Amino acid sequence: MQVPLQFEFQNDQTFASFFPGNNAEIVAQLQALATNGQEQQIFIWGDAGSGKSHLLQACCQQAKLVGKDPFYLAFDADNLPAPTLLEGLEDLELVCFDNIQTLADHIDWEHALFAFYNTHRQNNHKLLLAADCPPKFLGFDLPDLKTRMAWGLTLKIQPLRDDQLIEALTYKAHFLGFDIPPAVGRFLLNHYVHDLAALWLLLDKIDRATLAAQRKLTIPFLKQILADET
Amino acid sequence: MSVIWNNCLAKLEHEIPSTDFSTWIRPLQAVETDSQLKLLAPNRFIIDHIKQHFFAIIEDAVNEFSNATLAVQFEIGSKKSPAIKAPILSKSPTQKKNQPNFLNKAFTFESFVEGKSNQLARAASVTVSDNIGKVYNPLFIYGSSGLGKTHLMHAIGNAVLLKKPDANIVYLHSEKFVQDMVKALQQNSINQFKEYYRSIDILLMDDIQFLAGKERSQEEFFHTFNNLLDNKHQVVLTCDKYPKEIDGLEDRLKSRFGWGLPVAIEPPDLETRAAILIKKAMQVGVDLDQDIAFFIAKRIPSNVRDLEGALRRVVANSQFTGRDITLEFTKEALHDLISLQDKLISIDNIQKTVAEYFKIRVADLSSKNRKQSITRPRQVAMCLARELTSHSYPEIGDAFGGRDHTTVINACKRVAELKDDDVKIAEDYKNLLRTLSH
Repeated sequence: MQVPLQFEFQNDQTFASFFPGNNAEIVAQLQALATNGQEQQIFIWGDAGSGKSHLLQACCQQAKLVGKDPFYLAFDADNLPAPTLLEGLEDLELVCFDNIQTLADHIDWEHALFAFYNTHRQNNHKLLLAADCPPKFLGFDLPDLKTRMAWGLTLKIQPLRDDQLIEALTYKAHFLGFDIPPAVGRFLLNHYVHDLAALWLLLDKIDRATLAAQRKLTIPFLKQILADET
Repeated sequence: MSVIWNNCLAKLEHEIPSTDFSTWIRPLQAVETDSQLKLLAPNRFIIDHIKQHFFAIIEDAVNEFSNATLAVQFEIGSKKSPAIKAPILSKSPTQKKNQPNFLNKAFTFESFVEGKSNQLARAASVTVSDNIGKVYNPLFIYGSSGLGKTHLMHAIGNAVLLKKPDANIVYLHSEKFVQDMVKALQQNSINQFKEYYRSIDILLMDDIQFLAGKERSQEEFFHTFNNLLDNKHQVVLTCDKYPKEIDGLEDRLKSRFGWGLPVAIEPPDLETRAAILIKKAMQVGVDLDQDIAFFIAKRIPSNVRDLEGALRRVVANSQFTGRDITLEFTKEALHDLISLQDKLISIDNIQKTVAEYFKIRVADLSSKNRKQSITRPRQVAMCLARELTSHSYPEIGDAFGGRDHTTVINACKRVAELKDDDVKIAEDYKNLLRTLSH
């Protein structure tokens, strides 16, 4: 079943709302990066829906709380802004770039990112990068940029096992303020386990639907929410 | 921090999608006065985007929390003074002394690991630091990315500063030179720009290849370069290629870059890679066992940045788990990285690359053909497989048509001899190593 995704609010992208699973080390490293950790650069990679964007935004949120100036940008291959967007960012203490694999084949962006990288690093500021592949597999044309991507700490987001997926679902639903009965959880996973990004977005929608209808989540009600989507 | 803006942020976080909030709203810095809430953004692009998409919602929030007493204004800037900025073109000696030199203090000759691949470049750099402006001017260090060119540049600057703390030294990336020049042209301050760059005692300019295709910058750099050399000031340049091979660079610049000493840095050999790891580990307080260093060095054959990345992974994981760094632990910590490396550098891939390079068929490498045009590439491929993969001699022999392991050992010895005696073979080997490592 395909659920078309609408423009979604995904608030509460904090460390507290992230289900760590096998990724407790990544969470710890990123929390340290946002505050006063030793690492200057962290590169995280993993599949879509593994939580990269959530973690990057959580990092920004945490950095802001401790008085730092963070910046987050998710690159979108179909809608890349002008590279002048990077001007002045070298002065910000934490810069997070999401989906950097999409910059391959955009040589003007590669040059801009390279220039930004050198000055930002020289300023001793922190950089957090995320992609769907490790640095070696980035299709960048600038070898100098590619080697720099691997300079810091590179961490892979480990995918969740099936049992952890149920746990993650319950955890996230609980965080949003509603319960998912096990049968409903299994139903959701059977339909969405191959598209985690869609699953997490749907969870947000379920939250608002249950709130609006003042109803507990059941399979029939879930089917109704899904039907309203299509 | 403005209390009103803090309240606005808390409200806006629930009204604006989180990615938009993180990109456009959270980074804004607020300065509050009696009648105004000034929001500072890093650049014009961001301000224009916010005005177009979020101005109304921001204004509503500010009105709500300030009882409509504050007007919202946007400005380019930052509350915190930036760590470094474009060099301000100063004239007085005190000002000059206080100008940042952008040198990284950690990059010294002592922290540089010397091996066969970089000893000439290091020796030339030490000589330059002892004889500023007198020998090897310019010193031109070239080689692939991530091999230590920038380290040597900073080391020259740091060594000179130890002897002459007042020396006017500037390290910069060539793109910074271009940016400074563009700014100077926009602000009608090109004369100050010229004066600044021509007053430097030691100019350390990194990655000169990025001047390619930028004619106006090349012209300005040409004059700066001549002026510095005429006045016996030192110029040190790095590049990914030998001067004459840089496309898009004026011939007069290529020729001048070759006036002093062009010196190459090659990818480090296994022993140097291991030594680099041990030294880098020591710098973060870790006593890395030699076996572990060799294990990592063998699996990460490409460049020093990759080596540093792997070491960081091991150290970070050890600190997180509280486990000691043993060989077993290292294998676990680097599991993701190593399995990838194996995917990238396999014997199959080496055979394919070598066959393509020598213009023979892949099948020839496993055949019984004993013509020199085939045996030489076969020996080179075996030697590369030994250096770049973790396969044993018997495994490599098997992959080359079921040959005995002694054939592989002999091939490795023969290639080592040939590399010393025959410049062409040495060059071929380096080229193949570079192709396979990137």
